[in-house]
Amino acid sequence: MNILNKKPIRSSDTASVSPGSMYEEVPLITGNQTFSSVTEKICSIVENDPPKMWYVLFGISLSLLLMLVGSVGYLIWEGTGIWGLNNPVGWGWAIVNFVFWVGIGHAGTLISAVLYLFRQKWRTSINRFAEAMTIFAVICALLFPTIHVGRIWVLYWFFPIPNQMEMWPNFRSPLLWDVFAVSIYFTVSLLFWYVGLVPDLATLRDRAKTKARRVLFGILSLGWRGGNRHWRHYELGYLILAGLSTPLVLSVHSVVSTDFATSIIPGWHTTIFPPYFVAGAIFSGFAMVMTLAIIARKAFGMEDFITIGHLEKMAKIIMVTGLMVGYAYSMEFFIAWYSGNEYEKFTFINRAFGNYAWGYWIMVSCNVLIPQFFWSRKMRTNVTVLFILSIFVNIGMWFERFVIIVSSLSRDYIPSSWDYYSPTIWDISVFLGSFGLFFTLFLLFIRFLPMISMTEVKGVLPQADPHHDMYHNSGDK
Amino acid sequence: MRIEKNDSFIDAEILDNSNGENSKMNTSADRLTIPAKSNGKDYWRSLDELSNTDKFQSFVENEFPEGTIDMPSQVSRKKFLGLMGASLALAGLTACRRPIEKILPYIKAPEEIIPGIPKYYASAMPFGLNSYGIVVETHEGRPTKIEGNKGHSSSMGRANSFVQSSVLNLYDPDRSQAPKHLGREVTWKAFQTFWKPEHEQFLENDGEGLAVLSESFASPTLNRLRNSFLEKFPKATWAAYEPVSDENIYRGLEIATGQVYQPINHFDKADVILSIDSDFLYLESSDIVSSRRFADGRRVTTENDSMNRLYCVENSFSVTGGMADHRLIIPYNRIAAFTAALITELRKSGISISTPDAIDQIDVSGIDTKWVRILSNDLVFNKGKSLVIAGYRQSAEVHAMVYAINDGLQNNGKTIYYHQPEDRLYPRKSEFKSLVKNLESGKINTLILSDINPVYSNSADTDFTSAMKMAKNVIHYGVSENETSALCNWHLPGIHYLETWGDVRSFDNTLSVIQPMIAPLFKGKSQAELFNTLLTAEFISDYDLVRETWKSLLVSQGFDKQWQQVLHDGYLAGSDSHPEETSINKRSITAGLNNFNPGTTKGIEVVFAKSSATFDGRFANNGWLMENPDPVTKVSWDNVASISEKTATKLGLKNKELAEFSINGQKATVPIWIMPGHAHNSITMTLGYGRTSGGRISNNVGVNVNRLKTSDSYLSSDVSVTGTGRSFLIACTQDHHGMGSEKLVADQIQKRLPMIVRESTLDEYRSNPDFVNDVVEQPELSSLWKEKEYTEGYQWGMSIDLNVCTGCNACSIACQSENNIPVVGKDQVEKGREMSWIRLDRYFSGDVENPEMVFQPIACQHCEMAPCEQVCPVTATVHDDEGLNAMVYNRCAGTRYCANNCPYKVRRYNFYNFTSELPEIVQMSQNPNVTVRFRGVMEKCSFCLQRINQAKITTKNENRTIVDGDVVAACQQTCPTDAIVFGNINDPDSKVSKMKKQNRDYSLLGEINTRPRTTFLAKLRNQNSKLDS
Repeated sequence: MNILNKKPIRSSDTASVSPGSMYEEVPLITGNQTFSSVTEKICSIVENDPPKMWYVLFGISLSLLLMLVGSVGYLIWEGTGIWGLNNPVGWGWAIVNFVFWVGIGHAGTLISAVLYLFRQKWRTSINRFAEAMTIFAVICALLFPTIHVGRIWVLYWFFPIPNQMEMWPNFRSPLLWDVFAVSIYFTVSLLFWYVGLVPDLATLRDRAKTKARRVLFGILSLGWRGGNRHWRHYELGYLILAGLSTPLVLSVHSVVSTDFATSIIPGWHTTIFPPYFVAGAIFSGFAMVMTLAIIARKAFGMEDFITIGHLEKMAKIIMVTGLMVGYAYSMEFFIAWYSGNEYEKFTFINRAFGNYAWGYWIMVSCNVLIPQFFWSRKMRTNVTVLFILSIFVNIGMWFERFVIIVSSLSRDYIPSSWDYYSPTIWDISVFLGSFGLFFTLFLLFIRFLPMISMTEVKGVLPQADPHHDMYHNSGDK
Repeated sequence: MRIEKNDSFIDAEILDNSNGENSKMNTSADRLTIPAKSNGKDYWRSLDELSNTDKFQSFVENEFPEGTIDMPSQVSRKKFLGLMGASLALAGLTACRRPIEKILPYIKAPEEIIPGIPKYYASAMPFGLNSYGIVVETHEGRPTKIEGNKGHSSSMGRANSFVQSSVLNLYDPDRSQAPKHLGREVTWKAFQTFWKPEHEQFLENDGEGLAVLSESFASPTLNRLRNSFLEKFPKATWAAYEPVSDENIYRGLEIATGQVYQPINHFDKADVILSIDSDFLYLESSDIVSSRRFADGRRVTTENDSMNRLYCVENSFSVTGGMADHRLIIPYNRIAAFTAALITELRKSGISISTPDAIDQIDVSGIDTKWVRILSNDLVFNKGKSLVIAGYRQSAEVHAMVYAINDGLQNNGKTIYYHQPEDRLYPRKSEFKSLVKNLESGKINTLILSDINPVYSNSADTDFTSAMKMAKNVIHYGVSENETSALCNWHLPGIHYLETWGDVRSFDNTLSVIQPMIAPLFKGKSQAELFNTLLTAEFISDYDLVRETWKSLLVSQGFDKQWQQVLHDGYLAGSDSHPEETSINKRSITAGLNNFNPGTTKGIEVVFAKSSATFDGRFANNGWLMENPDPVTKVSWDNVASISEKTATKLGLKNKELAEFSINGQKATVPIWIMPGHAHNSITMTLGYGRTSGGRISNNVGVNVNRLKTSDSYLSSDVSVTGTGRSFLIACTQDHHGMGSEKLVADQIQKRLPMIVRESTLDEYRSNPDFVNDVVEQPELSSLWKEKEYTEGYQWGMSIDLNVCTGCNACSIACQSENNIPVVGKDQVEKGREMSWIRLDRYFSGDVENPEMVFQPIACQHCEMAPCEQVCPVTATVHDDEGLNAMVYNRCAGTRYCANNCPYKVRRYNFYNFTSELPEIVQMSQNPNVTVRFRGVMEKCSFCLQRINQAKITTKNENRTIVDGDVVAACQQTCPTDAIVFGNINDPDSKVSKMKKQNRDYSLLGEINTRPRTTFLAKLRNQNSKLDS
């Protein structure tokens, strides 16, 4: 009875947005969807020929991916000298990109796992492709530490593989922690995503018109028949994976931040880094989800599933995490001043006014100032504004990592070694190429797999939660 | 002792030079003509067979001759395909490389050569009128490293960067390989055939029309041959040509005393030293001895010790100027006036100086009279214990005045000795000029140029190039073909001093025999052999020629016994001359100085200096020197026009802007380099760059500025300078020096500098002996875990005395030679990827107009709590029980995390495969005891681990432990001032332990708890309290 008394967290109570009323929300799913219309809409994208736009985007992405392959090939052939790295700045764009992509991934896990545990039902429309985004972002992220090493052919030394020399990796090195953190993250995210896909894959199998599809989806759906026991195990498994994923949201980027925090370089050696990096990761991840969601809903006409309400909620999270990041920026300055350490003080003054000041101010503008627009509901509900601002946040977060990594290294303790780092064409091509990899995978995903979880969306439709009128005034239609 | 007795050496088969024509070794052609069947693996049979056809061989030779491989970084499609093809074609041949190396398999193994154990031979390196006694490390007959000879007075066991890097010149792939006539390769026989009738004709006409222009030398054999030559051909002329030389010093002494002397400065005996434009610690002759003696007078161990005081007057910062306690910056053209002002001031104090009154009439306006007065008082106070020295660039008149000052201060015979020079050929510009006149008037039909390059280096006022063309036959002899040889009808290849027999006298006339370490790599002949051929038209080997000369030098005991003793020691004991009693020659000095008027110049002056990298251009094809940054400007791979910021602003010039300099119709475009502490309206340029046919390293690097100068002076006045607005890419290894346009940085460096380079004055040190600890607050450090204690066995450590480190770069080159450090090229240095394991940081402090300059050698500090070790994911850098921070190249994956986390930034990364394309001949210069690093691995100073292990093996065989002095790091070994000391810090009696116990000892960045094993002794300046403004 208690459960029945409790008002379910769903926003389909009001049919439409009344302007001016702050607290009324858009319904989760609009357009009078039924179970079958949901299935029809989402499956049709996978089953029919994609729009022309898909081919155009896929062509562009594939070209960028080819550029990546070429650049990486040349890199391995010639050596890391083709990048702009020099003696004080041993890590450049490659590591910036690594942290950037790992950060992007975080929003996916947050949406699918943390919001799931908190019963935030609005996540249902975006969790599938947010998780996909996580996996693809982590793939992009893994690319960079792999190729940035000088001798890629000895990469297996990073793993604790028993060998005749009894040589083990150095467990004190944060880079090794990275290896574990990111690989665990990737594995768990992949499992979580796949488990969530199983019922939808079964739907696709059932609707399959060709034998190939039937066999393929048949294998992938693991014999799912929608039985009660299936659902019970599925729900439990999903819950466990969500539980496993949740600490990863915090741990992965914390570990990544220790690459810097455990070092002794002023500007890196900071205890604030773990929470600061996690906030930044969620911030950038939500911006990327927003960017992708806006493209996807436009391209495939999914406005009913990814409503303005979803976007607005994400905008709120972006604003909150943006404030956290802004707080971290100012706290770094405060601590640098408060510590009285000359090296530390200079590093931060140099960030704001030194050789990479341009990067610093791009970072501050994009990450601290721009999200302030989201105080206004008008801005939060304007798709164009959201799209543009989300891109700014992505840029700002890339620059945050650039500023931290490069500006700290470029001027550390001994001034004689100070030098300036500028990227070469190969730094740029690998970075752009990683977007090629990301979007190629993403476009393949939305072409061949349901980008929105049909199961979960159906779960938040009013029909899925029927009640007697005595409890609810607005009946389900 | 490391020097081995070398009787077996002479008979060693590998060095048998009797058939010099055939002694070419180790070329690719040799390798490929060997039938590979016997050695190549079976499954490559078809390729092996293919490799034996003439067609394939000629293809390979044409495709990859030794000379065609470029510096790394330029990847062309052609090269790529070439490399692919080469790796396929040569894969089956690699196995057969070893047996055909002439040097490795001994048919008759020479005695006392154990493969893998280096041998050390004493020899000497001739260097114009100078020479340096050296000990050469050879591996299986292959010289790899040069050190000073402890017993030799010219080096006292130390070396400078030129001596260190001269071994690389031996393996210069651009050396000339065969005689050439009209550009066509011929044999020495052909030259002899040509010379025979010429020789007879000159015998008939007493050598009319015959002239020899050689480099200057101090060699009994060369001098004997020259004298015989002039006797045989009385009408022939023989002059010496040197673009930069000490001619003015000798001429000055001639003016003052009526005679040419060799001055020898005993800085250790002087309490007050005045350097007038003299970089005696670095670029002057006998710099090693000067540095050593200067350091002896400078070194302090406690606050109760005294140290010398150095005053320096110059227009542009020199290494010596950096060491100065007081430095007066005046334009170059006012230096003579300064000297005159000093004479006037000294006279006022009652010092009698025998210069004519005309000197007192010299206009001294603009000279800081207070400075001169205080200096003068200090010199007078230290009469007989002071030393005044002027640089090679100053005119003969200034040198005469300086002699008179030292005479008045009674320093002559006390702090400066004068020796009677022997067996020398002096360079004289006047003789060169009259030779050019004779050439122009057609009086000379045969001109022989020995080891000189006047077409490149002569000044604008003598048009040697066109004069040379008037002669019928111009014969060029030299180790490399160059700008001059290209215009000669004969080119004869010379040989490197490590391949030749010869002899030299050093500055104090000590006799040494130059003995070959290796058979000539190419078809060259030595200078003595050439001179003898010119003289007799017959060929006699240099070995016989030198022994012939020494028959008259070694008379006391049996010749052979004494000869072998000289070869063993590297010098003839007791052959140094005694100082002469000298005195002013009134008549001569009055005549010489009466009309001396240095005058004043308005407008911009340009001053020329010899280069720290190329000297006068002769070392331009040496990659080690070319890449080693100039100690003061920190620019590598280029020469620049140093200028003060104020003058640059006045002329509207920016840093790195290309500016066009023109004087008397001669033009040169040189990049501007703004330097703190430079005189205004004055610009300094280095000679020796801008070679056009000097080889792959030297060609088109920098600008040839010889044409802007006249042959008599190192100064060009009223030069017009116009900026071009174009910026030039300059490879500078230290962008920030503590002063400059970016205020944020300049302020910060000034703030940090007292922590990094701790420095005080002698007075302050005496009142507060522990001043080093007052600079940085270092909290008590506690550890979270039980830390490893390094108390057992050997514990290696280093101490660097900043008070005597002059910044001369010798350690850097020594390290490069010892540890096979690659040369990476200008573009890589510009990107900040230079590989030097020990670098010399240079900072300026104080007033931007008149700053102080300090140097700090930085190599891996071998921290006990090494930040690099903790972050390496694959444990490629680890600590050993003896406190060494070891780098395991094999294990390195190249994440560069260690380099990022190194607060000293001493780790160097192989961004490319810098060593793979080294020509085979250059590979011969490498130390076989040090791994050559591959692409993608990190490297850094190892404290010369290979030497530590060598000592361990030796001492184990001798059943004892290592004692202080058994292990000497390469940088320490060569340091002329003993600033670097390395050893076992667990031994309380070792030199390094004692240094670390001094109260000036501090750890760089010790406050971040890295616990470096290398510590520094703070710098001191002995300032005259009266000059503190």
